[in-house]
Amino acid sequence: MTQAENETTIVLANARKCYGRNVAVKGLSLEIKQGELFAFLGPNGAGKTTTIKMIVGLLQPNAGDVYVCGHHIGSNGLAAKARMAYVPDQPFLYEKLTGREFLYFVAEMFGVSVETRDHRLESLLSRLDITEFLDQLTESYSHGMKQKIVIAAALLHDPSVLVIDEPMVGLDPRTIRAVKNLFVEQTQRGGTVFMSTHTLDIAEAVADRIGIINKGELIAVGTLEELRSQAAREHSLEEIFLQLTEANEYE
Amino acid sequence: MSTNNPVSSTTGRPLVGLLFRTKLRSLRNRVYQAVDEAPLRVAVTVLLISVIWYGLFQLFHLVFQQLKRSPLEATVAIPLVFNFFFVAMLVMLTFSNAIIAYGSLFGKKESSYLLSSPLSPLDVVTLKYVESLVIASWGLVLLGFPLMMSMAEIADSQLFYVLFLAFFLAFIPIPAAMGLLLAWGCALFVPRRVTRSLAILIGLTVSVLVVLGVRSMQVGDAAVELWLRSFQAKMSFLQAAFLPNKWVAAGIDNALHDRMSLSLLYLGVTAANALFLSWFAVRKVAGRFTPALDRAASGQSSGRRIASQASGGLAGSIFFYLPLPLRLVAAKDLRTFMRDPMQWSQLAILFGLLALYLTNMPTLRVQLSGWGWYLVIPFLNLCAVSLILATFTCRFVFPLVSLEGQKLWLVGLLPIPRGKVLYAKFAFAMTVTVGVAVGAMTMAIVILDLTAVWAAVHLIVILAICVALCGTSVGIGARLPMFGEINAARIANGLGGTTNLLTSLGLTSVLLAAIGLATWRCRFLPIDAPPDLGSLLICVSSAILGASAGIVALRLGIRHFNRIDV
Repeated sequence: MTQAENETTIVLANARKCYGRNVAVKGLSLEIKQGELFAFLGPNGAGKTTTIKMIVGLLQPNAGDVYVCGHHIGSNGLAAKARMAYVPDQPFLYEKLTGREFLYFVAEMFGVSVETRDHRLESLLSRLDITEFLDQLTESYSHGMKQKIVIAAALLHDPSVLVIDEPMVGLDPRTIRAVKNLFVEQTQRGGTVFMSTHTLDIAEAVADRIGIINKGELIAVGTLEELRSQAAREHSLEEIFLQLTEANEYE
Repeated sequence: MSTNNPVSSTTGRPLVGLLFRTKLRSLRNRVYQAVDEAPLRVAVTVLLISVIWYGLFQLFHLVFQQLKRSPLEATVAIPLVFNFFFVAMLVMLTFSNAIIAYGSLFGKKESSYLLSSPLSPLDVVTLKYVESLVIASWGLVLLGFPLMMSMAEIADSQLFYVLFLAFFLAFIPIPAAMGLLLAWGCALFVPRRVTRSLAILIGLTVSVLVVLGVRSMQVGDAAVELWLRSFQAKMSFLQAAFLPNKWVAAGIDNALHDRMSLSLLYLGVTAANALFLSWFAVRKVAGRFTPALDRAASGQSSGRRIASQASGGLAGSIFFYLPLPLRLVAAKDLRTFMRDPMQWSQLAILFGLLALYLTNMPTLRVQLSGWGWYLVIPFLNLCAVSLILATFTCRFVFPLVSLEGQKLWLVGLLPIPRGKVLYAKFAFAMTVTVGVAVGAMTMAIVILDLTAVWAAVHLIVILAICVALCGTSVGIGARLPMFGEINAARIANGLGGTTNLLTSLGLTSVLLAAIGLATWRCRFLPIDAPPDLGSLLICVSSAILGASAGIVALRLGIRHFNRIDV
């Protein structure tokens, strides 16, 4: 965290979400500050994607509230979404568009001027190494290539809040390094990154704070040091994660 | 992080134009790709459409020339025919728009993606509304051209072309808007029972149509004029002034007779209602689109477990004759079919309409029981059932093998020769097609009171056609698969799908031509007489030929499938 640390950009206030009788998220309260890279961890089916979808306004909480950049996502969603970018776990691209056409589409949708777009694209294309296949139809892309385009599209309009679900799946080590650097730079410039991941070493390396959710409940949140003290052990994030989720399992 | 974020200016800015431009660009890329990669397919498609257009034009031309000879009957018949035509279109387009709109609004990742960006729900819903309108209705407009051209020959005004087209275009937003509201209503109010609700609605509509059809046709041996009057009286509710079909039918009829001011009045009424209904539907759906999307995504069927167990049990027991691994594969395909409304609803609609037609046949018999017609009608039934089967197998059976593409590692590890998996696919396809085809043919045979020999001939031939179409679709599906593709519609539209379509149509045409020849040979025989030996031989040989072709195609597919690298 570097600047304007006291400004909260994402607020979940007792947010609860049910699928039929199944409670996916049980009254989650969480605040993420500006300039923070927050890693959201949890076992499969713990409620990570549901929480993310509530943050970006795709799901409405059954109870509680969600605010992004001070805007209530339910009642003033457009204002919030204009300052946010979302990368889903399954990247969406228009298959009959080329990568370039898709990026131009996103830029225009967010009102990015042509000069700004070209300037930002120049940097993103080289850092993510996507120039080679940019003019092919996206239907021919591998999962990793799609992921690169979606990440570039998300960063193209320089969002205040970047919400990403499993960003590293399908990426090669070089691109993973590039993406990590991009995220860190984003926070250094005052942006917020909310990242759900199973890749614990990445969370350990780049996250300012880490939240662990299990069975819809936030069972731990804090810096790596705070989690270590909570687990009362000097271990890696992996061992802390396993210990906390296992303890929650027995409870 | 930029302090003067450029995106703030986009909030609230209508971006629907950008969405349409993107869709058009996508369409342009698709066309270029099709022309570049499969020019033969494009040429064959254009050729087939032209042939269908020409055939329809000749058919309509014949009908209208016949009507022109008796102006009195034409005066009564044309508005009536158009009333029925547009009622049927209203119902069919409403359902097809509802299914398409539901899929594109609540079933695709695109809606979620667009809603996570600063687009207003109004922009997204407007795009999806126009998309479903175009996808569901383009066929009506295209097929309307030959109708319009043949009618224009008996029209009194050259303006008829323009008005006819304008009426079509003014009409189609009405069912599209109703379909949009229906899809949205299903997602919002019955998110846990969408499949069941749509099935009940379609079933109820088809049942009502069948009952109305049967009631209207109970005319015994009445004279044509009396029957027409009675029929008109029974169907008068369909000509109520507030129904869109009435406006369009009356408008076209007035255009036909050069009563332009009246025609324009009806056009204005239709267009105004279409615009209002579209505006209302889009606004209403957009206003509560996010809650509907949320409910569609988070709704879980309380009865799904019971339905799953029921369909699982049914699927398992139907294929009792297959060895266990194949039974499991066939049962999996049947479960997928039963749980996918896009598949079974299309089959239900096609055969529901066929049932409607079949229940109306007793009246036709009154008029057509004379020379040769006694055999011609059952032959035409056979043609209709066969063509519907061909449509089904090309669209749903052909992609089955390709859809295993992502799971080939699993198929490759099954403890059976890999090619035998195709027998399971074949068994599944035969179960569905034989069930509906034999059911429809039996219904037709009973209604027409066909003699035992002819009944047996028709049932054997339809069974042979089932074998031919299922064998061909599974065989070519294995020979020319698209393993990388997960969209069944795209698989059916690929090179293999086109080859299968042409082969299936060719095979069906040859078999039907042979049965047609046998029917023609027997046209002067007494009604209760069995076919002569020559005709019988033609029928039996064509059945054997059809079944053999299907089995050969299946075996070729199996041989190729065994050699594929998993």
